[in-house]
Amino acid sequence: MQNALVPVKTTESSHNELIQLVSFNLDQEEYGVDVLKVREIIRMPIVTRVPNTPHYVEGVINLRGKVVPIICMRKKFGLFQVENDKQTRIMVMDMEGELMGFIVDAVSEVIRISGSEIQPSPAMVAGGIDQECIAGVINQADRLLVLLNLEKMFSRDERNLFTGM
Amino acid sequence: MPPIDCEDQELLDGFLTETTELLEKLDDDLVALEKSSDDTDLMNRIFRSIHTIKGASSFLGFDLLVKVAHKTEDVLNRLRKKELFVTSEIMDVILEATDLIKLLVADIKAGDIQERETEGTIAKLLPLLTEIPTPPPVVTKEPEVAAAPVQAAEPPPATSQQVTPEQGTVTEAATPTASTKVTADAAPTAAPTAPTPPAASAMPVAKPTTAVAPKKTAPPKPVESKGGEDLSDNSTVRVDVKRLDDLMNQVGELVLERNRMIQINQDLQQNNVNRNDFNEEFGKLTKRMSFVTSELQMQVLKMRMIPVEKVFKKFPRIVRSMSRDLGKEVDLQIIGEETELDRSVVDEIGDPLIHLIRNAMDHGLESPEERLAAGKSRCGTLVLAAVHEGNQIIISIKDDGRGIDTDRVGRKAIEKGLISEEQFTSMGQREIFDLLFLPGFSTKDKTTDLSGRGVGMDVVKTNIKKLNGLIEIKSIKDVGSEFILRLPLTLAIIQSLLVEVEGEIYSIPLSSVLETIRVDQRKFHLIGGQEVLKLRDIVLPLIRLQKVFNVQPRGETEHFCYVVVVGAAEKRMGLVVTRLVGQQEVAIKSLGNYLANIPGIAGSTILGDGRVALIIDPVAMSESCE
Repeated sequence: MQNALVPVKTTESSHNELIQLVSFNLDQEEYGVDVLKVREIIRMPIVTRVPNTPHYVEGVINLRGKVVPIICMRKKFGLFQVENDKQTRIMVMDMEGELMGFIVDAVSEVIRISGSEIQPSPAMVAGGIDQECIAGVINQADRLLVLLNLEKMFSRDERNLFTGM
Repeated sequence: MPPIDCEDQELLDGFLTETTELLEKLDDDLVALEKSSDDTDLMNRIFRSIHTIKGASSFLGFDLLVKVAHKTEDVLNRLRKKELFVTSEIMDVILEATDLIKLLVADIKAGDIQERETEGTIAKLLPLLTEIPTPPPVVTKEPEVAAAPVQAAEPPPATSQQVTPEQGTVTEAATPTASTKVTADAAPTAAPTAPTPPAASAMPVAKPTTAVAPKKTAPPKPVESKGGEDLSDNSTVRVDVKRLDDLMNQVGELVLERNRMIQINQDLQQNNVNRNDFNEEFGKLTKRMSFVTSELQMQVLKMRMIPVEKVFKKFPRIVRSMSRDLGKEVDLQIIGEETELDRSVVDEIGDPLIHLIRNAMDHGLESPEERLAAGKSRCGTLVLAAVHEGNQIIISIKDDGRGIDTDRVGRKAIEKGLISEEQFTSMGQREIFDLLFLPGFSTKDKTTDLSGRGVGMDVVKTNIKKLNGLIEIKSIKDVGSEFILRLPLTLAIIQSLLVEVEGEIYSIPLSSVLETIRVDQRKFHLIGGQEVLKLRDIVLPLIRLQKVFNVQPRGETEHFCYVVVVGAAEKRMGLVVTRLVGQQEVAIKSLGNYLANIPGIAGSTILGDGRVALIIDPVAMSESCE
């Protein structure tokens, strides 16, 4: 296990630094993203469907005059669909300078962890989540948190697909 | 070379802004000077420009720049004193020196001062400073250097003079104080160093050669003639003071209306008003608000407008150098350069226009001999005109050359396998002209510096399409051709037609809507799988937006639907929609990088109720229709 930690240490240069994560729920599991990437968390507004886009693109919303694309995380991760409820939130994230919204089941809290707590993700991940965007796993006494790097979620190819369609 | 160690970045910015402006105007003035060489005002303006550049750059310690500007200034001074007379050869050298100055300024701007080959240019300036045919090498070098500075000085006065006092515009540049400071400070410094124009032969000899000759430590880079073209930048705006005042007034009104709104809201909260009063008051407020905002919108739009002159002014220089290269005589007439259009449009039309002008010069106009043989005047005419028409701007490039030879175009296209023989025989003139826009098409057998790669017209088409513009070609063999570009005035706010497709609202740019009709779906015909509608004398291909956009149909389909007839370039088609919602002015919002380039969607906008509506791109639609 110690050996396996090494690559993580190199990628996460902040070895013992405290990292703040926003944790959210998706189909029973808890995930975390870097708090600095999250611009805001909003309730579901009216979403305008955009035709001829990948199925996980829910559409676009009007965020105070800015048009922001919305991705459904459940669809993206290949999870079954549920009705939006009171807990459903959109996390608006800064993706390399552009805003993008992600629909999640619920947003719970901001947690602090030290960089050394991050472990590499196990080789097998169920549910069709791209291995690439999983930055690591945080294994605490009472919870298991999957650390996501959403910027990696859209591979180069996928972005080209987006723009080249 | 001294690094850019300017302590005061503002000073440097001011210098760059000013110098760039001066240089932009300089080209134009120099070409004008060649035509009217006895125009003293023009001459003096040019001289002052170069002088200002020289002064400012010596103040800031840009030695290379000073050297070139100084020599150019000397040559210009001789011209000014009538010791020399304006000839094409002299102008060539001066223009070359100007290019060199532009290149050097571009280096400074990039923060990367490089050793450039200046001696070549300076060597050309040198003979102009002395009439002694075989001067000793030392002498030769010096005058050259001197000539270059003259050129540099020329542009600055021209710009400042034109813009500031005459038009009363205000510089909104980030560093207005800085630029004035530079000039003020620089002038005194420059004055003492500026040599009184020598009786050319004597003075240069006396000066030590070393001071002038450029040190060739690093391998000098060749001077590219295009080096200075990207000098202009759009980070600062000049706005007429009056427009700014108007804007302030309108903002004042907006503030008043806001106060009124707060008041009404307060009354409502405290239940001080009865319903009728509230309705009336609120209705009034809404009207005034909409009036003020549309006024405000117009004003801001106007401030974004810049005269096409910004693009047009580089053409005399291009035409001049091309006419010399091609051995053709051309009279370039520019009409309507004061016509204003949005900055975003101005930025995009430069390239297409250059290609069209090149084409006109290279393919359109004949050589003087051919022209005389054809019974035309020796000198060809090229007219570049801009005019407003409705909410469009029309730019035309017209030459009186040989016109487009449809036979030749057709044969070339067949040769290149772009069309078949039968296709050609059934083609109308217009369709043949359209062949010109195909990538890779060229009537030239040989590729030259100027043309023959078949790229130009493709660039024109792409850029114009990007702007939602239309291109029209008129050409009569042996009489001339005209390329007409129709462009929207602005790209930010457009009039649009809102339509409903099975419950979803889409917006279609009104500029491309030709008409709307309500028709019975049973009147649609099917030709080869393509639904069409017989509309008067044309057969209109139909596109069902519901299918293209995969909208879930809701409820039963009615027999009657609406067809929006749209035109893109020369194509026409009908978009089938469920319902027409209305006309609205909408601000275009980008969908961002992730959703850019969705077929058929040009962007999005936000409706009155806060929802996002997608804007349909008729041009892309027409392509998917093919």
